[in-house]
Amino acid sequence: MSGPFAPGSDPGFDPGFDPGLAAAQEALVRAMTAGGPLPDGFDAGAVGAAAHGILLKRAGEVARAWPALAASYGTSWRAAFTGWAARRPTRGSFRDGWDFARAHRADLGRDAARELALAEVRWSYDGVSPPRPRRFAVRRAPGGVAVRVRGYIRVFGRSAST
Amino acid sequence: MAAPDLPERGVGIGWRPEIAGFVAALPGLRFAEVIAESVHPARPAPELAELRDRGAAVVPHGVKLSLGGAEPVAAERVAHLAACAEALRAPLVSEHVAFVRAGGIEAGHLLPVPRTRAALDALTANIRRTQAELPVPLAVEPIASLFDWPDAEYAEADFLTELLDRTGALLLLDVANVYANARNRGEDPLGLLDRLPLDRVAYCHVAGGTEQGGRYHDTHAAAVPAEVLDLVAELCARRRPPALLLERDGRYPPAAELRAELDALAAASGFPAVT
Repeated sequence: MSGPFAPGSDPGFDPGFDPGLAAAQEALVRAMTAGGPLPDGFDAGAVGAAAHGILLKRAGEVARAWPALAASYGTSWRAAFTGWAARRPTRGSFRDGWDFARAHRADLGRDAARELALAEVRWSYDGVSPPRPRRFAVRRAPGGVAVRVRGYIRVFGRSAST
Repeated sequence: MAAPDLPERGVGIGWRPEIAGFVAALPGLRFAEVIAESVHPARPAPELAELRDRGAAVVPHGVKLSLGGAEPVAAERVAHLAACAEALRAPLVSEHVAFVRAGGIEAGHLLPVPRTRAALDALTANIRRTQAELPVPLAVEPIASLFDWPDAEYAEADFLTELLDRTGALLLLDVANVYANARNRGEDPLGLLDRLPLDRVAYCHVAGGTEQGGRYHDTHAAAVPAEVLDLVAELCARRRPPALLLERDGRYPPAAELRAELDALAAASGFPAVT
């Protein structure tokens, strides 16, 4: 460190990896995000309140990343998202929203479906690995098709008579 | 080990894209903070660069390093924090006394560490790994938490004091977190303030929250309550920190309300108004 302080009394100190601490932390995270059992000794009500607070924060972050998706649920967005996400740890708000949209594809309104179609022409995402940018793709979108060619995205509508 | 004589920066505000225009228009602002994970070091947001270039201290504030995790901090996350400090010419950087992931699962938020020797050792090692790569000092922030781990081996003040002594890190004291934790534990917040090494405070956070179901949630999405402003005054009566920073992370109010929040912080601390 190049700050104005001497390091602590033993600069070479390295306790090494502590498997007990790692396991305890993982058990708590699983309990809070993945439906795991609450480890002994914790206040279930307080941990549950904290976990719900995290879900609400995630709902807000996903709404910023996927505004049409959240808007299509109106005032029930928080309840819909937190219910779905309660046992799914976050993989980032972009993927959380994408996973939610795919799981609810049949229910999506026009704007939310278009938002998903635009994401799907821009990125390749198998639901497992992080999304990667596409070079070329065509997807159905409400009112036509979305096409991505070399960085450009266009939505082509059907003719006015349809 | 006392903190260096950090220059007084007075009242500051957490820079967020949603309020970039408001922040840019604050005539007396000399201090801001930005979420490190939102910064692209090679091309920081123009508004941030402008703040930097007009001489304001812009401190990168990390939220995903997981200093309190049993696993070693990720080298690329530390490198990013260091690159942010360079890009913003920051006088220091800050992170949390917390962990955010374990066993490959993201918690989605800052979680408390157990107040045990084992956690203290893991934090010490991670803070030293981070400090070794940073061009500037590191300040660490105790978090707000609705719950504690069972079987604590240290009182909170002793745990933090030992951590700062071991690492030489500075303290980022969040006055709203002190208030929230004391309220949720049924304790007196002054009891913690009186036992912390206030001479090691680099700067302070102040924010608002809301009560839900009998618990006070530190949401950063509401006005700063009068009790937190009172605690700011109590802190400043003991030892005024070099700077006090308002954090707002959602439900952004009209500019006049945000200005009033900054003015209330100035009034409570005796720092000049920045509005």
